Amino acid sequence: MKTTYSEHHLDLTKQDEQVYSTLNLGPTHPATHGIFQNILMMNGETIVDAEQTIGYIHRAFEKIAERRPYYQITTLTDRLNYCSSPINNIGWHLAVEKLLGVEPGKRVDYMRIIVMELARIADHLVCNSVIGVDSGALTGFVYLFEEREAIYEIYEELCGARLTTNLGRVGGFDRDFSPLAIQKIKALMKRIPKVLHEFENLLMRNRIFMDRTVSVGGLSAERALNYGFSGPNLRATGIDYDVRVMEPYCSYNDFEFIVPVGQSGDVYDRFCVRQTEMWESIKLINNALDNLPEGKFNTEVPAFFLPPKEDVYSKMEPLIAHFKMIMGEIDVPEKEIYKAVEAANGELGFYLVADGGRSPYRLHFRRPGFIYYQAFPEIIKGSSLSDAILTMSSMNVIAGELDA
Amino acid sequence: MSIMSKDKNYTVVEAPEGVAGHGFFATTLDKAVGLARKNSLWPLPFATSCCGIEFMATMGAHYDLGRFGAERLSFSPRQADLLMVMGTIAKKMAPVVQQIYEQMAEPRWVIAVGACASSGGVFDTYSVLQGIDKVVPVDVYVPGCPPRPEQIIDGFMKIQELVGNEPLRRRYSPEYKELLESYGIKIDK
Amino acid sequence: MEKIELLQELKSKFDRNIIAVDENADIYTLTISSVSVKPILSFLKEEKDYQFLTDLCGIHYPGREKELGVIYHLHNLVENKRLRIKTFVTKANPKVESVSQVFSAANWMERETFDFYGVDFVGHPNQKRILNVEYMDYFPMRKEYPLEDATRTDKDDKFFGR
Repeated sequence: MKTTYSEHHLDLTKQDEQVYSTLNLGPTHPATHGIFQNILMMNGETIVDAEQTIGYIHRAFEKIAERRPYYQITTLTDRLNYCSSPINNIGWHLAVEKLLGVEPGKRVDYMRIIVMELARIADHLVCNSVIGVDSGALTGFVYLFEEREAIYEIYEELCGARLTTNLGRVGGFDRDFSPLAIQKIKALMKRIPKVLHEFENLLMRNRIFMDRTVSVGGLSAERALNYGFSGPNLRATGIDYDVRVMEPYCSYNDFEFIVPVGQSGDVYDRFCVRQTEMWESIKLINNALDNLPEGKFNTEVPAFFLPPKEDVYSKMEPLIAHFKMIMGEIDVPEKEIYKAVEAANGELGFYLVADGGRSPYRLHFRRPGFIYYQAFPEIIKGSSLSDAILTMSSMNVIAGELDA
Repeated sequence: MSIMSKDKNYTVVEAPEGVAGHGFFATTLDKAVGLARKNSLWPLPFATSCCGIEFMATMGAHYDLGRFGAERLSFSPRQADLLMVMGTIAKKMAPVVQQIYEQMAEPRWVIAVGACASSGGVFDTYSVLQGIDKVVPVDVYVPGCPPRPEQIIDGFMKIQELVGNEPLRRRYSPEYKELLESYGIKIDK
Repeated sequence: MEKIELLQELKSKFDRNIIAVDENADIYTLTISSVSVKPILSFLKEEKDYQFLTDLCGIHYPGREKELGVIYHLHNLVENKRLRIKTFVTKANPKVESVSQVFSAANWMERETFDFYGVDFVGHPNQKRILNVEYMDYFPMRKEYPLEDATRTDKDDKFFGR
């Protein structure tokens, strides 16, 4: 069985090259949601080989992070997987908290769970509706994006921004959930089950959709594990690796939720796994909201929370503290840590090497999209072009996460 | 004067200046063609990153760019009028933007949506192009990171203003040719 | 403890290739020699169930004798244990054997480390730049290179305060 890249690439003779045709898919192509290029070698309608080029949106995040103070890096993490920015923000804050050795309280944890699960629903809404669009079903897209608008309104209430949220602070949030925010979340949780049911009625047992997606783009569990898959793509092959269960963070172990797994890792399984994860997220949000404990919405991390303005203007120590924080004179231990969270696409990891200064010495993002997109040539080998398009959109490759 | 619907009291579209009479309306050709063009622009959504997701929200049912006539998105540059560059353009991508622009037929307009497309945005790094106006001539810049759908629609309406008021001979003028030459863009004869 | 058993087993098999151990880090960290990367990682994958390569990245410590480092994070999903393996090479001879035959996930991650730091992965099937432009002739993440584009001519230092 072909396992490595070199065995992938065929030894083509001159004669073979005249039989096969080369097709350039991308970098700008309606089906590649994001810019990355695939040069396909085709034998008629069947794909024989593929060569990928990425880096068309390389913005050098890791180099920028070496120059920014810790709280300014949150805006960089927004733009990794920009369909679900809060998960990236909160993951980064969790990483800094691990570095500093800070444990936030229960209320902060539950608030974070609500926000992260909302972001997970938002990301899966995009991915599933786009699988529909790529197979020709545009209605689901229009219906589900209305729910995304509702989620945007909730984000606006919490932090002011719709998409690139820069949400929260190290240690918690900058403000508590306002009553309007809680009302909006409850209203959304009441409305979204009906919309999801409607969407499922459109696609999930639809003969055309199933014909196009069952047994298409599948990958075995061993190969997926070897390729470093994580998240819904791995769970669709049958392995139930979820960072929320393996290494619980943020009080996820207070809640009961199912980790859905598929069987064959094909497009239909990925679609169903994401759909079920949305239902589980709805349950989690409802649970967390009903049991939201009393307490503070932030933690005593003096180096990251600015003192109240009245004190800054009248007393000496808060003034000095404020100045030091803004200038980035924060005491950070000299350690290296690795923190992983379950982002919508898989295990999003932050490898942070701190040297005591205001910016990290080295920050590396373990981006799930970058790692599982490598498997694409192996998956589509032997399938037709239309199957390859569906496979690509079902893997949910976000260009910002690919290139960082 | 506005073109009123017969039974209801609302304006469908603002008419350009002209002479109206019983059963006819006379105006300059520029204005008539501009009116037709601006209400049926076919955009090419060149969505690279986060601004692209805000564009998807703009095309959705809530903000609906389709009511301005831009319902038919064209992913082929040969059939598009308006190149909407949304998101960061890296130096690796810059030749691709220029290639897409060259393939578009006249008249063509460019709107740079977002801070990254206008000027490089937050990313002042070695790999990011600091604004797409280094490779293509831009008509409208929409700032924001990402801009709200209302802002994108505002930018689109400014493009409509430009389209409606453009003289028909502008694309053949020497100033325009000089502009394209300064970018190194080949002009099809 | 299992960690000590693992260390003893590795030491008995690979002897002086295990250079250092850090038990106080958040993840058990081993520093190994650059020539023993592939054997040790294969041993860990086949015998010890560390079959998931979580991460592979590079790092640059200017001032040390062995400046460039490659850092591997492994995960044993069966027993839920993580392991961090570091190896360092000099700038003059930055060769590390590629583990892309062992873990297919390492393919692009090694290309990224090559692109950013210039670490040469011997035996990599396709060692080309992956994220930066192909004609770039330096390795940008090394500490001596600046973040901004040095060829920009349109920045007014009066406004940017430099």
